[in-house]
Amino acid sequence: MFKKLIEESTGRSPWLFHINAGSCNGCDIELVSVLTPRYDAERLGFKLAGSPRHADIVVVTGPVTKQSLPRVLRTISQVPEPRCIVTMGSCPQSGNVFRGSYSVAGPLSKYVPVDVDVAGCAPKPEAVIDGLALAAKILKEKRGRMK
Amino acid sequence: MDFPFIKEAISQLFSKSSCAMYPAVPSEAAPGYRGRIVYHPELCIACGMCERVCSGNAISRSVEHLEDGRDKITLTFNLGSCTFCATCADFCTKHAIEFTGDYHMVATKEEDLLVRGSFIKAAPKKKAPAAAKPENCSAQVQTEASGVKPREDGKPVNDQSRCVYCTLCAKKCPAEALTVDRTAKTWTLDEDKCVSCGTCAQVCPKNCIIMG
Repeated sequence: MFKKLIEESTGRSPWLFHINAGSCNGCDIELVSVLTPRYDAERLGFKLAGSPRHADIVVVTGPVTKQSLPRVLRTISQVPEPRCIVTMGSCPQSGNVFRGSYSVAGPLSKYVPVDVDVAGCAPKPEAVIDGLALAAKILKEKRGRMK
Repeated sequence: MDFPFIKEAISQLFSKSSCAMYPAVPSEAAPGYRGRIVYHPELCIACGMCERVCSGNAISRSVEHLEDGRDKITLTFNLGSCTFCATCADFCTKHAIEFTGDYHMVATKEEDLLVRGSFIKAAPKKKAPAAAKPENCSAQVQTEASGVKPREDGKPVNDQSRCVYCTLCAKKCPAEALTVDRTAKTWTLDEDKCVSCGTCAQVCPKNCIIMG
């Protein structure tokens, strides 16, 4: 009975972990605005976790610089399965204007499987909420497959 | 016992939420918001200007040669690489690129973020090779396929079968030696003014200006 209760509750409240992989801070500010009272993603269950070990969804911003790459990979490997990786903005998907720079190791999909891409530079908070809702759906499917 | 603000606290319990209730209440982007790109291939002349000014390398162009000699030109806009700066739309003289207020750009596959459009370019009109300044042509044949030969005196010559009359060469010419008329489709060179610097050939998006 408790197992069912836990399953139900975790499905309704996926926790986020935010990684800044060399972002210009534009996407980070948009993500903060999603979590703060104006858009308040917490009313939909999305809560920012302080530790990657508590998280279900990883939100990556920034073009994945060479300095941040080992840290990003180590942090993502600490997130327990099933996890869902969301890229926010154009940078982690392609490198955007930083593409071809000597210090950029991205895109992120070269290193880890990415589940959801939220495009925009920076994406609107509404688009981020859409992306997180899709990530929560994918997470539910992944959890069902793991059983 | 004194309870400060208790009236305020109770009234807040019953007041309306100040959140934007987004998924339940749809919200529109602000006017002038630069969201998903809409490309109008029927207006495009494939001058390549958008590709050159794009800072994120989000625009790519592919040409497919059809059997009847015409070209099918496809422009692909990768929204996953776009900065949404709208420089491409500003530079497009034909207004074929439009930024809409649609911000729902969420995808699970990279393919979903590509905006494509293609059009068939009419075959260039065949001109007699004599029309391309035969008196100045050198014996050296570099571009035999187009029928235009570089001049001996080092001045530029335009392959007008490929020219789209974007006027970029005339704008960039430091000596103001070029006159391009878009409506009459003429490209004229003032030989006295020309200094043979090669700027026109360098900036030409179609690479149809040949230096001698």
